[in-house]
Amino acid sequence: MAQALLEQIINGTMMGSIYMLVALGMVLIYGVMHVLNFAHGVLFMVGGYVCHFFFTQVLDSYLLAILGSMAVLSVIGLALERGVFRRLRDNLRMQVIASLGLILVIQNGVIAIWGPNALQMRITTTDIRVPIGELSFTLQHFLIIGTVGVTVTAIWLFLTRTRIGTALRATSQNAEAAQVVGIDANRMYVASFLIGCALAALGGALLGPLFLIFPTMGDLPLLKGLAAIIIGGMGSIPGAIIGGLGIGIVEAVSTLYIPTDFRDTVVFAALIAVLLLRPQGLFGVRVRGEA
Amino acid sequence: MLEARGLTAGYGGGRIIVDGVDIDARAGEVVTIIGQNGAGKSTLLKGIFNMVPVRRGSVSLDGAEVFDQRPDRLLAGGLAYIPQNHSIFPKLTVAENLRMGGFLLRDQRLLVERIGEVEAMFPILVERRDEYAAGLSGGEQRMLEIARTLLMAPKVIMLDEPSIGLAPRLVDQVFQTVRTLAEQGKAMLMVEQNVKKALAASDRGYVLELGQVKLHDRADRLLADDRTAQLYMGARPGGTAPSAEAPEGRP
Repeated sequence: MAQALLEQIINGTMMGSIYMLVALGMVLIYGVMHVLNFAHGVLFMVGGYVCHFFFTQVLDSYLLAILGSMAVLSVIGLALERGVFRRLRDNLRMQVIASLGLILVIQNGVIAIWGPNALQMRITTTDIRVPIGELSFTLQHFLIIGTVGVTVTAIWLFLTRTRIGTALRATSQNAEAAQVVGIDANRMYVASFLIGCALAALGGALLGPLFLIFPTMGDLPLLKGLAAIIIGGMGSIPGAIIGGLGIGIVEAVSTLYIPTDFRDTVVFAALIAVLLLRPQGLFGVRVRGEA
Repeated sequence: MLEARGLTAGYGGGRIIVDGVDIDARAGEVVTIIGQNGAGKSTLLKGIFNMVPVRRGSVSLDGAEVFDQRPDRLLAGGLAYIPQNHSIFPKLTVAENLRMGGFLLRDQRLLVERIGEVEAMFPILVERRDEYAAGLSGGEQRMLEIARTLLMAPKVIMLDEPSIGLAPRLVDQVFQTVRTLAEQGKAMLMVEQNVKKALAASDRGYVLELGQVKLHDRADRLLADDRTAQLYMGARPGGTAPSAEAPEGRP
């Protein structure tokens, strides 16, 4: 039992790391722009495809393919921010519709380019096994956990220790006050979209080789990431980090006790429970002016 | 120092709130704008600071035309604006809030130096440096807003209802701070509902009604003026005000 538990905790930490990347990107964009970007999952998926493309067609280096994918998605994010979301500023309904529309456009675009079938990406880290006691995991598991750990730490330091990072947090807390201290909101929008999309790409590029790369691979990470930021408290960065990791571990461990098919049910039951018991989320604060 | 001429400001759909206002504030002076709710006081300040979608007219700062400049350029040029209520960053620490006040300063040494100066002026901010600003009392938050503004060493500070929501003792303290800053040579332009205390701390005052300047005079004269008294402080029982159409003071 202890073996099985350890196995699921490691699996859960790996998946939780992926959810963390998605949640952190979404919460940054949401906090600064007040856009709940439902297209974040398809951007994650595109990150997987672009990484695959760079790896198989151009670079033959997984690291460079990941970086290339992050760069491409940053540019796509920039274009979406400029071309779509900035124009719909302060129009929540249109933003939701636009982000749902983007899912259709991007998903079908990917199918048009790469076809509907899953792609496989063979890299050495998925073949190397790391034994832990009687268990063994792919090296990719630990590569994911380590990379996400380093990335999230870097983002955290950026947000808390740098001038621009503090300005990003300031803008997400009080946009009007940010304007009167001279923070240019448009620059903050660009920064949050850029970081958010790069994180989504990193997620897709890390998960792709372990499972497969297919047009709906971002759907579940999107839903789990969304659940993570709601559980963590909308707009809370520590909430998104801990929420993402927590969801990964809870759903993995739950498979020990209940059928695997109910894994997603467990996550959303936990979401409902949090909403009932603590509607502002674990790390959220009640917003002034809201009941 | 600050001069707005024919300033018209409003929001989308052609809603004009401020209609051709002439207003100025000179160095060393406290100028207060009073008027009922909806008279356009806040919109006037926002209009000067280029934060409303519809605006016409001219704004000059130190003799230079700045009407078309973005808020961050205005701030860099010496015009600061403290909006009404809660313009702190609640989940940044007091120290981080101050540093954001100097966001536009590239020279970090100068920023540190100025933070030292304002901390000397407002010692409470030193004591609570590492706490979230949300934990400060209302009066302390107001001091933080003012202190944060001073980091850009502005020549003109516009304040939207600095006394709102504060206990009487703290109201006096805020107006005292405003006076002190004027004595240091800054032009202070504020919007206030607390008419008596605000005018008592001011040199000049403007009375705004339906987006237009109704009266403009020295603050002590406005205080003594029956029209001001009746409209904005409520009618005094047995007072000298002519019992016109609004004896109770309209909402």
